[in-house]
Amino acid sequence: MTTISNNDIARAIYREFTDAGHEGVYATSQKVVNFLFRKNLISKSGTILTELEKVINREEGRTVARVTSVKPLTEKSRTHLAHIFKKRYSAKEVELIESLDIKLLGGVRIEVNDEIIDFSIKNKIKKLQAYLTRPE
Amino acid sequence: MTNHIIDILKKEIENFKAEMKVEKVGKVMEIFDGIAKVSGLSDIKSSEMVLFANGVMGVALNLEDDAVGVIILGDFSKIKEGDEVSATGRILEIPVSDAILGRVVNALGAPIDGKGAIKASKTYPIEKVAPGVITRLSVSEPVATGIKVIDAIIPIGRGQRELIIGDRQTGKTAIAIDTILNQKGQNMICVYVSIGQKDSKLRKLQACLEEGNSMTYTVIVNASASEAAALSYIAPYAGVSIAEYFMDQGKDVLIIYDDLSKHAVAYREISLLLRRPPGREAYPGDVFYLHSRLLERACRRNEKYGGGSITALPIIETQAGDISAYIPTNVISITDGQIFLETDLFYKGIRPAVNVGSSVSRVGSSAQIKAMKKVAGTLKLDLAQFRELEAFSQFGSDLDDATKRQLERGKRAVEVLKQLQYAPVKTEHQVVTLYALVKGFMDDIPVDKIKEFEKGLTDYSENNAKTFYKEIKEAKMWTDKGEEQLKKVIADFKNNFVK
Repeated sequence: MTTISNNDIARAIYREFTDAGHEGVYATSQKVVNFLFRKNLISKSGTILTELEKVINREEGRTVARVTSVKPLTEKSRTHLAHIFKKRYSAKEVELIESLDIKLLGGVRIEVNDEIIDFSIKNKIKKLQAYLTRPE
Repeated sequence: MTNHIIDILKKEIENFKAEMKVEKVGKVMEIFDGIAKVSGLSDIKSSEMVLFANGVMGVALNLEDDAVGVIILGDFSKIKEGDEVSATGRILEIPVSDAILGRVVNALGAPIDGKGAIKASKTYPIEKVAPGVITRLSVSEPVATGIKVIDAIIPIGRGQRELIIGDRQTGKTAIAIDTILNQKGQNMICVYVSIGQKDSKLRKLQACLEEGNSMTYTVIVNASASEAAALSYIAPYAGVSIAEYFMDQGKDVLIIYDDLSKHAVAYREISLLLRRPPGREAYPGDVFYLHSRLLERACRRNEKYGGGSITALPIIETQAGDISAYIPTNVISITDGQIFLETDLFYKGIRPAVNVGSSVSRVGSSAQIKAMKKVAGTLKLDLAQFRELEAFSQFGSDLDDATKRQLERGKRAVEVLKQLQYAPVKTEHQVVTLYALVKGFMDDIPVDKIKEFEKGLTDYSENNAKTFYKEIKEAKMWTDKGEEQLKKVIADFKNNFVK
C-alpha cells in the first residue's frame, strides 16, 4: 500500500512551478488548488505549504535559523552565527529569525531544520539536575 | 552535617561537565492509543529510542517520508500535539546485571517488585541478530523438567525451542512453573516472561516460586494486561536480552514466553494503529518474522564462542483445540517440537493433559540420558497402541490375552504418567518408576493402587538400591550389577506391598 506523502506533494508543486516559469504562475496556482480540492487535501494544505517552504529553501540553498535568547543579539553575534550556519549547512543564504524568552535565563537556543543546539542556562541547569540525580 | 552535604554538592558540581551537542528533534503531529506521529527526526534509525518532553520513552518503528511512527512506552496521556521529541541515538536497550536475579521487572528492565533499584553497569539491546551457524552446537544435554511424561516421551534439550500449546485452563503455565521449580541445583537460570497476563496470576506465580525457593535463580519480566500494547510487544525481546546476558557468561538459561498468542495480538494492535496493511486474521505480514527472530535467539553455543545456552519454552493458547489457526501453525513450524495439551484429557483427570500422539520433540531425544532412553524407548508406541486398542475394545468384549495385557499395561502407564502440580519428580525416580512399569512389575498391581505403589517404590528404592541410583546420577546409565540390585529391590518392595 503506497501513500503519497505531504513531502511528495510539496516536491511536485515546486517542480510544477519551476517548469511553468513566471508566465504560468497564475495557471499553476489554480491547478494546484484544484488538485488539492479534488484529492480532499485542503485540510492538509498548511502542512503541505510548510513542506513546500522547506523544499524551496533546500533547492535555493537557504537556511532558516530560529535563535531564541534572553537579550537581543548584537550585530557582531548575528554575523558570527550566520557565518557558522553557512559553513555547517553549506548554505548560500542564512535567514535568522530572532525571538526573546526570559525563561532561558541566559545563553542562546538555536533551531535549524530538525536540529537544536541549546546553549541556554536553562538547559545547563536541566543537565546538572540529571547529573546530580543520576542512579548510582 | 549541612556543611558536609554542601561540600559533596560542590564537589559533584565541580566534576560536572555540561556536554553541549546538536540534538535531533521532532514535533508530535498526532497522538492516539499509544502511538505518536512525529515530524522531523530526519536521521533516526529503526528501533531507536526517542524521548518525549515529559520524560516518557518511545521507539521509532515506522520511518516514513515526512513523519516517524513512534510507539510510546509509558503514560501517553500527558503527551500533546506540538510537544518536542528528541532522538537519543541509541537502539532500544535494557539494563542488565547479576542483581536482576530474583527480581520482577517490567518490559524496560525497571524493577516493579518494590525491592528497590537494580544496580546495572551494562545495557543490552533488545533486538539482536541470532547467533550464527558456526557459533552453535547441536542439542545434547537434557533439561530435566521433572514432569514424567515430558522427560520420558517428549524430552527437551538445552538450546531447544519446545512449544507448549493448548486451550485455556489446560495446564500450560503449570508445566512452565513445574519446570522452573525443578531447575533448583541444575545449574540453570530461568527467565519467565509474562505477556498480557492478569497481575493476580503473576502474583500467584511469584508466590509459588518464592515458596519453592526458586526465585533465587529466576527473573520475571512482566508486561501486564493493564499496560500498553507496546510494552507487551517488547517484553519477550527484553526477556531474551536478559537471557543472553547470562548466556554470555557461559550459563544455561531457560526462558518461558507466556504467551506468544497475546504477543501477536499486541503486535497486531500496534501494526493496525501504525496503519500497516493487515493480512490473514488482520495480523500484519511480518508476524512470522516477529516470532522467528525471537525464537531463533534460543541456541546452544559452542565452547569457542563462550558456551552457554538458551532453551525457549514458548506458550500458545489455542481456541477450541484448533492448532491449525494462523499463529499456532507459525510457531509450530518455528519450534523444535510441541507439547500439546488437551481439554478432554484434563477433565478425564489425566494431568498433565499431554496428548502424547500430537506431541513431539524433534531434537530432544539426542539430549535424553541413556537410562531414560532405555526405559522410555517403547513407551510412546505402547501408549499410542493403547489408545487405539482402547477405542477398538469398546466395540466388543472378546479380546485375546495379548490385547488384554496390552490394555492393562496401557492403563498403568497412563496412571504412572499422571502427576500433581508443583511436584516435579527427580530423574532417578522417574527411571525407577518407568523401569518397574516397562518390565511388567506393575502389571498385577490394581490401577487405583499404582500411585501408592510408585510413591512407596521410589522411597524404598532410594534407600535400598544405592548402587543403581549412584550409577544413574553419575554415569547416566545402569550397569548389570545396578540393574540386578534394582530388580531385587523392586521385587522385595512388591512382595511387601501386595501383602
